[in-house]
Amino acid sequence: MSMNRKINLRVWLKIPDAEAATVKNTLIRRLGYGNVLADVKKERLFSIEVDSGDPEELAKSFAKELVNENKESHIVLIDELKFEEGYVPVKVALHIEDGEAISIRERLRSRLGFENVVDVKKATVWKLYFDTLKPEAQMAAREIAERLLINPNKDSYEIMSQ
Amino acid sequence: MKIAVLQFPGTNCEFETLVAVKAVGMESEIFRWNRPAGELSGFDGFVIPGGFSYQDRLRAGVIASKEPVMNALKEEAGIGKPIIGICNGFQILVETGLLPGNGKGNGEGSAKVDMALAQNVMVSQGKIVRRGYYCDWVNLRHDAPSRRCSGSFAIERGALLKIPIAHGEGNLVTTTPGLMEKLNEEGQVVFRYCDRNGRILNEFPFNVNGSTENIAAICNEQGNVLGMMPHPERAFFAWQLPAFDPRKQRPDEPGPGRRVFESMKRYIEVNA
Repeated sequence: MSMNRKINLRVWLKIPDAEAATVKNTLIRRLGYGNVLADVKKERLFSIEVDSGDPEELAKSFAKELVNENKESHIVLIDELKFEEGYVPVKVALHIEDGEAISIRERLRSRLGFENVVDVKKATVWKLYFDTLKPEAQMAAREIAERLLINPNKDSYEIMSQ
Repeated sequence: MKIAVLQFPGTNCEFETLVAVKAVGMESEIFRWNRPAGELSGFDGFVIPGGFSYQDRLRAGVIASKEPVMNALKEEAGIGKPIIGICNGFQILVETGLLPGNGKGNGEGSAKVDMALAQNVMVSQGKIVRRGYYCDWVNLRHDAPSRRCSGSFAIERGALLKIPIAHGEGNLVTTTPGLMEKLNEEGQVVFRYCDRNGRILNEFPFNVNGSTENIAAICNEQGNVLGMMPHPERAFFAWQLPAFDPRKQRPDEPGPGRRVFESMKRYIEVNA
């Protein structure tokens, strides 16, 4: 019986993230979250499932392909996905076929020779910083996800645990 | 008869659209997104042109859909004025809920979002052969009855138009139960991607973006709001057509895209 391992790459910009700034601006100026929302940051998340190999070494190789170190930082989490305290992480992913994730999987497998790659999933994690207590923050995060961050016809979201 | 061509930060087809609207005999001006929204009521119709509003941040059209000017536009749509959203304009109308415009909203002044224009996925023989941004000349078949929709009011059912596309997110998808049946039954599917003979083939390169049922354009239930991914303003004059099209050699002739703007004019004349 094979034990597949999951390599999670959390990737974020070292330079200012214009998209996160636009989302924050829209939430505050257009959707009325100025009293509760302190900041918005964004990460890309790649979850790569492999059926063999040393996950630590594989993670380094995958990061070389998927992360541009000139402008991005990343951390690797093997078989787990956790986030820091201080914000509500909202993971947004396509629930329809994700062509980019499929392309990444094929690139890793066919072009770069990582035949142990079984699956690749891609998501965006919105890190919502609130001025309110945790229960209210979680409620506001759900509301923000449904009002702005997703289009339910193609995206789904999940409030991640910390 | 005066038409507002809406401009958001990142819109890039407003001047061609302005030329097209004026060339069919309507007055027109560019209406910036941050003008007092109430001024929209002085216009008889609206075009939201293509481009990349707010750099397509988050997803195409969603940030523009939250601007106050869109609330005013909903009121204008509600009283039957024609609105044509082209490419990014279509994406904005979908994210606003004006298209397909069936939901009553969630109590915050916005209609329910019943569909999405997702990232292009080009499929051939069951395999993804390409994805992302794509631009090309495409063939469209007009599938709505004439007089059903403001932007195809004067176009007969079955007419074929060659018009260019240029987008990365035009793949129409929906999870709303029964929506596709309703769109088909009520003549709200206005244009479909087809081959040069009008056959609907759900394969790239005929279906250029993976859109459900090859849909390229839809209108709302009332027919006054049209959203289309192809750019009729880029095929307005025959000289804009590609070199392989013999009509290019007859530059005095109108291009196929002109019919969309003529339709809008005719719709306003009839409904005035």
